[in-house]
Amino acid sequence: MVDPGTGRTITERQLDERSAAAAVVLRRRGVRAGDTVLVCLPVGPDLLVAADAVIAAGGIAWPVSPDLEPGLLRDRIRASRARVLITDLVAVREAADESRVRVVLGVADLRDGPF
Amino acid sequence: MREAPRHNLPAEPNSFVGRERDIGELCRLVGDARLVTLCGIGGIGKTRLALRVAAQCAPAYPEGVWLAELARISRPELVVREIARALGVREERGRPLLGTVAARLRDGRCLLVLDNCEHLIDECAEVAAALLASWDELAILATSREPLRIAGELVWRVPPLDLPEGAEARAESVRLFLDRAAAAGTRLDDGSLPDVVRLCRELDGLPLALELAAARTSLLSPGQIADRVHDRFSLLTTGERTAPARQRTLLAAVEWSYDLLSDREQVLLRRLSVFAGPFDLDLAEQVCGGPPIAGSELVDLLGALVDKSLVLCDESRSHYRLLATIRHYAAGLLREAGEHDALRERHLAVLCELQERYFATELVEPGVPWPRRLEALTRSRGLLDDQRAALDWAAESGDVDRALRLCSTSTGLLPVSGNPLEIVGWIERLLALDLSGVTPGRVAQADGFLAYGLEARDELGRSLEYALRSLEDLDEGFQRCVMHSLLVMVLLRMGRAGEAAHHAELGLALATAAGDTWNQAAGLAGLSAVALVRGRLREAQRHGDEALARACEHGHRWIMARAATQLGAVAEARGDLATAKARYELAVPWLDELGGGVDLARVLARIGRVAALLGEFATARERLAASLELSRRTGQRQGVARCLVGLSVLAEAEGDLESAVPAAAAAAALRASIGQRSGTARIEELLARARAKLGEGRTTALWARGGRMSPDDAARLVLEGVRPPEADPGPPTPPGAMPLAITPSAGGPLVGALPVGHSPLTAREREIAGLLTGGLSNRAIAEELVISPATVARHIANIMEKLGYTSRAQIAVWAAEQPSA
Repeated sequence: MVDPGTGRTITERQLDERSAAAAVVLRRRGVRAGDTVLVCLPVGPDLLVAADAVIAAGGIAWPVSPDLEPGLLRDRIRASRARVLITDLVAVREAADESRVRVVLGVADLRDGPF
Repeated sequence: MREAPRHNLPAEPNSFVGRERDIGELCRLVGDARLVTLCGIGGIGKTRLALRVAAQCAPAYPEGVWLAELARISRPELVVREIARALGVREERGRPLLGTVAARLRDGRCLLVLDNCEHLIDECAEVAAALLASWDELAILATSREPLRIAGELVWRVPPLDLPEGAEARAESVRLFLDRAAAAGTRLDDGSLPDVVRLCRELDGLPLALELAAARTSLLSPGQIADRVHDRFSLLTTGERTAPARQRTLLAAVEWSYDLLSDREQVLLRRLSVFAGPFDLDLAEQVCGGPPIAGSELVDLLGALVDKSLVLCDESRSHYRLLATIRHYAAGLLREAGEHDALRERHLAVLCELQERYFATELVEPGVPWPRRLEALTRSRGLLDDQRAALDWAAESGDVDRALRLCSTSTGLLPVSGNPLEIVGWIERLLALDLSGVTPGRVAQADGFLAYGLEARDELGRSLEYALRSLEDLDEGFQRCVMHSLLVMVLLRMGRAGEAAHHAELGLALATAAGDTWNQAAGLAGLSAVALVRGRLREAQRHGDEALARACEHGHRWIMARAATQLGAVAEARGDLATAKARYELAVPWLDELGGGVDLARVLARIGRVAALLGEFATARERLAASLELSRRTGQRQGVARCLVGLSVLAEAEGDLESAVPAAAAAAALRASIGQRSGTARIEELLARARAKLGEGRTTALWARGGRMSPDDAARLVLEGVRPPEADPGPPTPPGAMPLAITPSAGGPLVGALPVGHSPLTAREREIAGLLTGGLSNRAIAEELVISPATVARHIANIMEKLGYTSRAQIAVWAAEQPSA
């Protein structure tokens, strides 16, 4: 698979492997069947992995564009009532400050678990 | 002896509402992540949530759950001290406290709760990182407004309570409000539900805001409160209009609640912010009374503040405290009201006076019955947090004289409390300030306490120097006698018995003239110790007997135990072991009354050793085991080594050299690890006897084995006869464990914990696992089974969770190992 924007590629096998590992991390961080998980990442393989992982973990992937203006971003995050947010962007972390997000995970956390 | 509790969590002051799922999740996360920090603004409920989680997962931590309340302290160097206090760990002679705490934590799985880290965040981060690095079965649950920002931290953002979607009563915020309103005596009918819902939304589900509002329901309806709080937002005064919305909401609620107080209630709440720790009514009256508050009405005002949830109290209403958020707010108001300095001044004066009185009652005044002395001691120790705060203020305002006065009347100074080093730090800090207003006598007292601390750090030469200098200006009173006693101890340790005798006599003469029975006993015990060193046993006995008589007259259990122990040592030197044991036994209940600790551990170890030599093996076992447990719990490695030596003596007395040699070796290894030398003569004798009986090779092997054993294992060897396997087999392999090739990377979960015999997977999951061995992708598996790739991914996630794996490859290997169905 090739990402048209960046030209970065990920094989199907890599996608399967990485999303499976990420799904385990999400479960261990408390994602349960039916939970909304916000995914706020630039378009690319990481976004693909994260979204697949959320679905594999039984959650509902709720993508949010990182390009939204801060106020709108804040509203979206609040409205989602999500408990978990996947992002690497500091601005997005801050936008989640007044929400119900409990845990913010970065792409690196999904790859090998935070610990 | 008391059973050691496995936690120090306080009882919950009222029911805990909501957050059920969060608590369950956090319990798992704490087990998984090792450092979880609950983050959020003040008043959002971090502490309550942390305590709830800690209590819930306590069974998973056999070495206990320990809460350090950091809101009480303001100086970074006290962080480790607070943790040590929570654990019951005492400072070891000459060793950094952090190292002792770390060593104590290594006893097993244990959870540390660090509450309110924000004001000391750097120090907390450093200490947490050091402790986590030193022991991988330690978990830390922290609460803080800011993350600690160290590797491996899981930041968990505490949200407000759930808000109602419609007009329903099941939402957490509504439940909390109704619960607290009911506790305040207000029954709200269904008709008020819409207003309650509106109020909960207005307060954004913030627990502290909801509690403050609910406390007012006896006077105002939920609708009225909602209107007023709403108006508050536009009236926020403290210039925090730019703060995040939640923080403004909370501030509005606190301000609103404060504004509803009567003038005098407001004054009292502001003044209460000077207390660092819990306070009782008596202390509140002394510090916070005064115009416009009449002494007699303070109790009612305090009760009113409790009713309004601004002040918390325990069930018996004997101790009160302020929530950190409220305290912070009230302290700001106290400053604005221009009362801050005067109040701190008064707080310092009261603390000084109280500690002086307690000191006199506990130690100096003659004829005080023991229960009253004990009560004074307990109260004095209970003021520790406020004493620190008062010392801070004294130093800050340059009142060195009063600060030194406060230092020198803390009973924490004397060996009675066993830990003079903190006060030494204070004194060093204070003596570096401008001393022009300080009398020479006061400086002499300070020098005396420095001498104490230096002795505890084994710096005998400097200790001697300070103690002698202190004597030049000290008045002829209690402290002067104490200084003579210290000199006896220091000089004896330096091998200068003649000078020690001189100081013992000087101290005794002064004490006799003053009718001071404590120091008479101390002087006589010193004379007995000197005589013992010189081999004059009868003289030692006579002084010891007199010391015990004077000590009993005084009644303080510490000095009584000191004299009894001295008599035990004299009897032991005489070879009269039965009497020695009886004298040592006298001290046990006395020291136990003082809360056990280092002195009790020491005397129990002595009893154990003597009982072993007397052939009373059951008693020896029991005493040594108790001593070992005490030393272990208080983090005294030297004490643990002492017990191992005792256990070695016991094993040999029982004819069990196979245990005696390893126990002695473990003691020597432990001593070496803390930079101490062992008595080589005793060890050589033991080894000689062992070689004669067991042969050279066997003895060497046993010694080597003991040196590699943990102190616990070595102790178990003698206490329970548990022999670990001879050869070192490496980590044990549990039944049903996976082949090494697929063991997940270090720290991987649960591989050995699989149930043996049957597969935990469903038929479908087994089928997918089987297909994974063929290296199929999700899409290929999906096509094979005619399901969607997302479903395949879901199944694989389930398989990984059940088997504790983190990669598909692990499943494939596992499936290949399974017998085909």
